[in-house]
Amino acid sequence: MTAAETVGIALLTLRVALVATVFAGIPALAIGYALARFRFPGKPLVQTIVALPMVLPPVAIGLALLEILSIKSPIGRACEALFGQTLILTWWAAALASSVVAFPLIARAAEQAFAAVPVRLENVARTLGCSRPGVFRRVTLPLAARGLLYGGLFGFARALGEFGATAMVAGRIPGETETLALAIYGRIEMFREGEAWILAGVSLLLALVPTAAAEVFLRRGER
Amino acid sequence: MISFDLRADYPGFRLEAAAQLNGAATAIFGASGSGKTTVLEAMAGLRPEVKGPISIGGLRIEELLPEARFIGWVPQDASLFPHLTVRGNVEFAGRSDVSEVAIDALELRPLLDRRSPELSGGERQRVAIARAVAAKPALLLLDEPLAAVDRPMRARIIPYLASIPDRLQIPVVVVTHDPHEVLALASHIVVLDRGRVVAQGDPRDILGSPAALGVLETLGAENLFEVKVLARSAGVLSLETARGGRLEMAVVAGFPEPARVAVRAEDILLTASEPGLVSAQNVIPAGVSTLETLGEHVYVRLESGTDRWVAKVTSRAVAKLELAAGKRAWMLVKAHAIHAFDTRA
Repeated sequence: MTAAETVGIALLTLRVALVATVFAGIPALAIGYALARFRFPGKPLVQTIVALPMVLPPVAIGLALLEILSIKSPIGRACEALFGQTLILTWWAAALASSVVAFPLIARAAEQAFAAVPVRLENVARTLGCSRPGVFRRVTLPLAARGLLYGGLFGFARALGEFGATAMVAGRIPGETETLALAIYGRIEMFREGEAWILAGVSLLLALVPTAAAEVFLRRGER
Repeated sequence: MISFDLRADYPGFRLEAAAQLNGAATAIFGASGSGKTTVLEAMAGLRPEVKGPISIGGLRIEELLPEARFIGWVPQDASLFPHLTVRGNVEFAGRSDVSEVAIDALELRPLLDRRSPELSGGERQRVAIARAVAAKPALLLLDEPLAAVDRPMRARIIPYLASIPDRLQIPVVVVTHDPHEVLALASHIVVLDRGRVVAQGDPRDILGSPAALGVLETLGAENLFEVKVLARSAGVLSLETARGGRLEMAVVAGFPEPARVAVRAEDILLTASEPGLVSAQNVIPAGVSTLETLGEHVYVRLESGTDRWVAKVTSRAVAKLELAAGKRAWMLVKAHAIHAFDTRA
């Protein structure tokens, strides 16, 4: 395994994890806010569904995604019509699979972060002439930022290490869908343990750098 | 002219409050649980469950969202935005000449770069008032604005609060359970008792009325005395009750002289023998006339000269002091425990 190959695997993994965090983050933010702020019928059911990817085996999630993305499904046919192929066996599928497993972590963190913002502060902002979107942007979001950042980091870290669901929908195509987790597994299968250890070290670095950066950023914000 | 006719049903509490607020500064006066904060928050548009018309200057606002009402609201806990500095809070609604005036009037300039966790309770309250005023509201609602402010700062803030209606042309509604604040800040009073308006009008007339006295009793001010001022020195007023008793009362500069004072029964300490040197400014010898047990507490009725007093103590204290009808006792009352609730103009 050359250095260029290792860097390529690391960059692909980063790309997949970042896109997965964005994919999961947007709906997780909306659902987290709704769960924290509104009462509605079926709320416990929604909370259960949100938590499901945490308790389901990733392989089962991959199986479900395979079904949803296959040419037999409307989504698969729509992708075929738009891009000339389904998303299966592409890095997009890896990102999608990673986003599903990262989603509950981000959504749960977002719910807790938004719930911790006192409604009274939002009310004060409204009496100062701020509209609801303005209150969200100027009060709720900044005050929930720490929790949201932690949620995003957890989600990102989870996406970095995703294996089961990704293997099902993206396969392990070197240079295309082979993320660090898949590459480590592949090297073990090929009895190339030394390379597997190098890739494990790279995984550790990828997880440590953003976590440490966020920690520094958050501590600076506390001052 | 501001008016409301508000209705709401909560478990164990019904709000049915209608009032017309005459004058530029109104106090909503009542004990805890009387519904005064609910009324204030309903006026600000923050209680959608409270129904009924609210009108300011002939304009009906009950259907408007809080952001469209132009009503400034200062909650009891100040609720400053913790992620913003003092300046960020005061200028939340936008930078204006009024915000600079408010910053100076409330002595906030040395604090402008601080954040709310670095401020004292009184400082937070001043920032919240400045923030609300700086938004140039059509009406300013203050919920117990001086609750967390120490006495010296209270004396500095009160003139500023009292000047808001004239100086900035903003009518003020202040919620309080302190008669002294009513007299210092308001030209009109609405007395709330268990969700209903039981009296309204000029504070000097209303505070001595049976309705207000009922509220004062609910607040625990069971000892009420008509007084005249004999002397004033170093923040202490020497008072004489109508029946000849003497009281020393702590006052804040600028407050009017009291015509009546109230002392909460639980603020009175009892001793069975004459105390030596104590910090309490009032050591009053008395005779115990009756003892009324109410659960774990005992109301001890005492007579000092011809003044009648009630002290609230624990049954354990009664046993320890061996209190009984006919025995002598000494009442210890701090100068700060004597509250004015009616003043001479």
